[in-house]
Amino acid sequence: MGIRVGVDVGGTFTDFLIKGGDGSARIYKTSTTPEDPTIGFFNGLGKAAAEAGQSLEEWLGQVETIVHGTTITTNAVLTGEGALTGFVTTSGFRDILNMRRGLKDRQFDMYAPPSPLVLRRNIAVVDERVTAQGEVATPLSEDDVRAAAALFRRQGVEAVAVSYLWSFRNDGHERRTKEILAEELPDVYVSVSTEILPQIRAYERHSTTALNSYVGPVLNRYLSRLQQRLAELGFGGTLLIMQSNGGVMSPEVARRFASNTLLSGPAGAPQAGLHYGAMHRFGNFITVDMGGTSFDVALVRNGVPSMTTEGSIGGHRVASPSLDIHTVGSGGGSIAWINAGGLLNVGPKSAGASPGPACYGRGGTLPTVTDANYVLGYLNFAGGELSLDGDAAWRAIDEHVAKPLGIEPIEAAYGIFQVVNADMAAAISVVSVQRGYDPREFVLVVAGGAGPLHAGAIARDLEIPLIQIPRESSVFCAAGMLISDLKHDYVHTYAREFGDVDLDAVTAIYRDIVDKAMQTLEAENVPPQQTVVEYSADLRYVGQFNEVEVPAFVAGEFTRGALDALAEEFHRRHDELYGYSTPAAPVEVINLRVSARGVTEKPFVESHPRHGPDPSGARTGYREIWIDGGYTNASVYDGLQLFNGNLVPGPAIVVQPTTTILVPSDFELTCDAGNNYLMYRKGAQVGDLLRLLGGEANQ
Amino acid sequence: MSTNLGTIEIDPILVSVIGSRLNAISEEIGQTMLRTSRSPIFSEARDFVTGIFDHRLRLIAQTAYIPVLMGTLPSALRGIVDEFGDDIDEGDVFILNDPYRGNNHPPDITVAKPVFFDGEIRFWAVSKGHHADVGGGGVVGYNPTARSVWEECVRIPPAKLLIAGKRNRTLWDMILINVHMPWLVEADLECQIGACTVGERSLRALIGKYGMPVLDAVADRILDASDRQMRAVLREIPNGVYRAERYLDHDGIDKTRMIGLRLALTIADESVHFDWSESDPQAAGFVNSTLTNTISASFQALFMTVCSGVRYNEGALRALDVLAPAGTIVNAREPAPVTACTVVAAEAIVEAVWLALAQAVPERVYAGWGRWLAPASMGFNPTTQRPFGDIHFMAKSGGGAARGFDGWDHMGTVIAAGGLRAPDPELHELANPYRVLRYEFWSDSAGPGQWRGGMGTVYRWRVEADGIAAVNFGGGVNETTRPYGLLGGHPAPLSSVVVHRNGGEEAIDTETLFFLNRGDEVEIHEAGGGGYGDPRARDQARIAADVADGLVSAERARDIYGMVVPA
Repeated sequence: MGIRVGVDVGGTFTDFLIKGGDGSARIYKTSTTPEDPTIGFFNGLGKAAAEAGQSLEEWLGQVETIVHGTTITTNAVLTGEGALTGFVTTSGFRDILNMRRGLKDRQFDMYAPPSPLVLRRNIAVVDERVTAQGEVATPLSEDDVRAAAALFRRQGVEAVAVSYLWSFRNDGHERRTKEILAEELPDVYVSVSTEILPQIRAYERHSTTALNSYVGPVLNRYLSRLQQRLAELGFGGTLLIMQSNGGVMSPEVARRFASNTLLSGPAGAPQAGLHYGAMHRFGNFITVDMGGTSFDVALVRNGVPSMTTEGSIGGHRVASPSLDIHTVGSGGGSIAWINAGGLLNVGPKSAGASPGPACYGRGGTLPTVTDANYVLGYLNFAGGELSLDGDAAWRAIDEHVAKPLGIEPIEAAYGIFQVVNADMAAAISVVSVQRGYDPREFVLVVAGGAGPLHAGAIARDLEIPLIQIPRESSVFCAAGMLISDLKHDYVHTYAREFGDVDLDAVTAIYRDIVDKAMQTLEAENVPPQQTVVEYSADLRYVGQFNEVEVPAFVAGEFTRGALDALAEEFHRRHDELYGYSTPAAPVEVINLRVSARGVTEKPFVESHPRHGPDPSGARTGYREIWIDGGYTNASVYDGLQLFNGNLVPGPAIVVQPTTTILVPSDFELTCDAGNNYLMYRKGAQVGDLLRLLGGEANQ
Repeated sequence: MSTNLGTIEIDPILVSVIGSRLNAISEEIGQTMLRTSRSPIFSEARDFVTGIFDHRLRLIAQTAYIPVLMGTLPSALRGIVDEFGDDIDEGDVFILNDPYRGNNHPPDITVAKPVFFDGEIRFWAVSKGHHADVGGGGVVGYNPTARSVWEECVRIPPAKLLIAGKRNRTLWDMILINVHMPWLVEADLECQIGACTVGERSLRALIGKYGMPVLDAVADRILDASDRQMRAVLREIPNGVYRAERYLDHDGIDKTRMIGLRLALTIADESVHFDWSESDPQAAGFVNSTLTNTISASFQALFMTVCSGVRYNEGALRALDVLAPAGTIVNAREPAPVTACTVVAAEAIVEAVWLALAQAVPERVYAGWGRWLAPASMGFNPTTQRPFGDIHFMAKSGGGAARGFDGWDHMGTVIAAGGLRAPDPELHELANPYRVLRYEFWSDSAGPGQWRGGMGTVYRWRVEADGIAAVNFGGGVNETTRPYGLLGGHPAPLSSVVVHRNGGEEAIDTETLFFLNRGDEVEIHEAGGGGYGDPRARDQARIAADVADGLVSAERARDIYGMVVPA
């Protein structure tokens, strides 16, 4: 196996994880170059090549796969710099897209409404109507479609989205519209809802389709630039793009389904958790990624990451399946403040990268989580390139937190630490307790530069028994991308009560979707023996307005037995999620879903020889830290010198080039055979925990 | 119960930590309601509230999608506890909908569960939401012909829904036989109980972790903090007595009689006194407000504007008090009908509070939001072979403008403050025998101003079944009740409901029962919001954009906004 490269472009840094064929791993970080992210991309590759003593061309010649996570589409939406987009919809319903279901997020705050994705002047209505049963009530007015095309030509739109009412019941009008638009506007990027998301709920379908067009040209241009440059450098391997659903796709598929990259930023995390947990056969874990401004949480159960169809970006709904990643505004840069009632709060306002925490010495005067960590003695560098201004951190905390609360600055710093930990623990409850899962049955897998300082306290609060901190924790998502499969999700709304389900019709729909999926995977060069197809359906009790997705068992055809099993599983799952089920109540099938994967080859995991428990070879000294109400002398270790089997008792600090781990007084840390860290309460036996949380426990 | 509050030292950090956990638990209860309820009024429109009270019946935390419900939990829980006193055991769950026993209006059923720990009540988990049906002579709970509360609903006094964890079967049977859609009501009561149970589970874990003495002391600190925060906010408003008057479109029964609500709002340093005693006598019809609703709407007006950053709990309310004499429109005497109060009276109350505040802090209030005007309807759907009932929530009005920005489009009634989710037209067609024909912004529906109101809606549907009963309710059909403008901003137009049938048009007044049959088409024009500031001061680029987008007509742009047309 050749070299595999994961490249994750974030807001501040572009992360690189480079896996050699021998299982060795190297990490690089370069500054993200927002004006043209390909610059940062090639800077990092250049660094890797230089370190290998090769030219970029030579080095790239050995690279087999590059998996790329990009936020180019995400940023286009957040900054309003997507394509000028036109929207075509059913006459009489011009504004469903811009009505956004009439919601205002922060109900009590007075603020300006958000700007629409598509200006109303660029929304064209067309005479046509399909009924709820899929019959044509009003035929498509081709004249209206041509008039819309003329309007878009005048307006100079770059992309068009088409979404009619009930189109998923009968896609004829959308297909014809697409043909006409292709004739009239051959250079314009066109998305139609029946290809993007043939699913009930007009706003959600409109919004997803419109977003696809809004970001399609942006992603297209970016990928063209990237691929052209890679070709110039003689790259002959495979380029894959990360998706919001935790899978990857070819650039060709990405161009058509650009909206599938919108929520892909943190999407590598659950995959990375699977990768690092694989050696212990962890099936149940929660990944957390604490960055400068936010904290992302995802839950994986029985090896399967939680998914959602309730994503949104910049106030616009993305209803295609994405990993269920819960984000809160708790990060290293989150600002601590006292409200008018005298209570301490942390975030969601962040000092960001500029001015940044007070201790960065870039003019920040407000106290942040990083400042607290510095004052407490947990942190004495940040990313290596900065020299910290300790006085500024003390001043900020004293003035803005300690004095108003009437406590000592060190207590105030510890208060900030505790409050942000509580907020992060609450965020973990959202994806676990609120979804019916007990966090005590999960491993906490920690990523991000700041996460490992807080992990112990969070785990203690939630009684999570075991923490895993990958050595590559600071480029965690890049690691996840490297092992992601090609994955394509399909949905088709069926919407029938159980008694009315036509087994043959369902079989036909599933078959049709699978054909589509197979064609896509084939085009991505996936051999048939490496494809995996999973069927599921969204069910609800008649009258409910939210569905529960349950797996369906389809072997060629959808049988009566499969239907009954579906219902049974639905009642069980409803009970698990919401504390009750009503098996006597009528059930309906809303959506049929297929998830098709092309399984990729996984990189080899290096296994290191076992050492004795004595960690003293890695000890670099001692440091005064404040923890649990007093100063204590903590050992400081060089993480790179800790080996499989070494045991580090808390209180201790483990320092690595891009991250620092705090081992609290009641915790102990060890290295596993993959040289990743495991942390747990003193007194627990790591072997017992591994047996409990991994291996057999999940069989 | 021994909680020696004076001796416990609580560090301020723990208060923040536990406070955040309590809010999370309240949200957990809300999420369970949102995801499992059957009635579209709960799950799509999100017409419910959940809360946590301590054993002293102080509101500690709550989650409200529909703000007018925020202030209604304390009196409902008080009503239950007053009735049962010591007769409250572990596993009991209580129910209440009677508006004369602490509830706000009958369709919003309160379900409350005491949380026991070590054999004593430590907290209460409470949920309240708008049911699809509460019986009575009305449509989905709305009966404009009612002259008493008995014609509006099956009255449920404080009662045990579960006794020691088991269904109180007689009560369930009694309730369910009195409603049109018992399966929906039953499932939603289950959903409310389930939600409270989720809250109970988390609250018990919290008690196990910190112990009651700490939690009691923390509750004191959280509430005191909100009190201080509220007083700090109130100090910024100039002292004075500010008066305002708003009208209901009519009495509900006597459609020639308009009803006035009159407020004297006293800001005195750190307190607010709402005096409604000059308001008109109570109405004959269901537009009457209950005291609970009047208090809740009065407070909501503050929390949406000047106190938006303050957490709504018992502490925050200490500085506020309301005077609403019995027998007036803002506190009707039993057994007057009251169901429409949560929109009709509540909107007028919010508007009056804002108009009073506008005299003190005009930069911190909104121009008028379009009032609710839409029907509920109920009948039999031949396609699904089931009865159906729904409220036409798609007919959403525009939000009022404020200094610095245009109003929010398509918000719906102000009492929801943007929390009311419009139903999906496709799901709506699937459940109801209706074909939606038109659902889009209504051009020129916004009140002009330097900042204009949000856009209102035009919504039209065709009926595809016979024998459907409908009730139109709400307001904004008179000059005096349309959304007001502020500081030179103009009002928005009147709203209207029209039935097209037999080649003609039939205007439907508000608070009116009517019937629909196959082929009838109902068309609603729902007003936008009122404008703020002189329209002639509006930015020319914005005027041009509104014209290009078809939101404002060229004539209005020229005549009212003074648009400069390039030669």
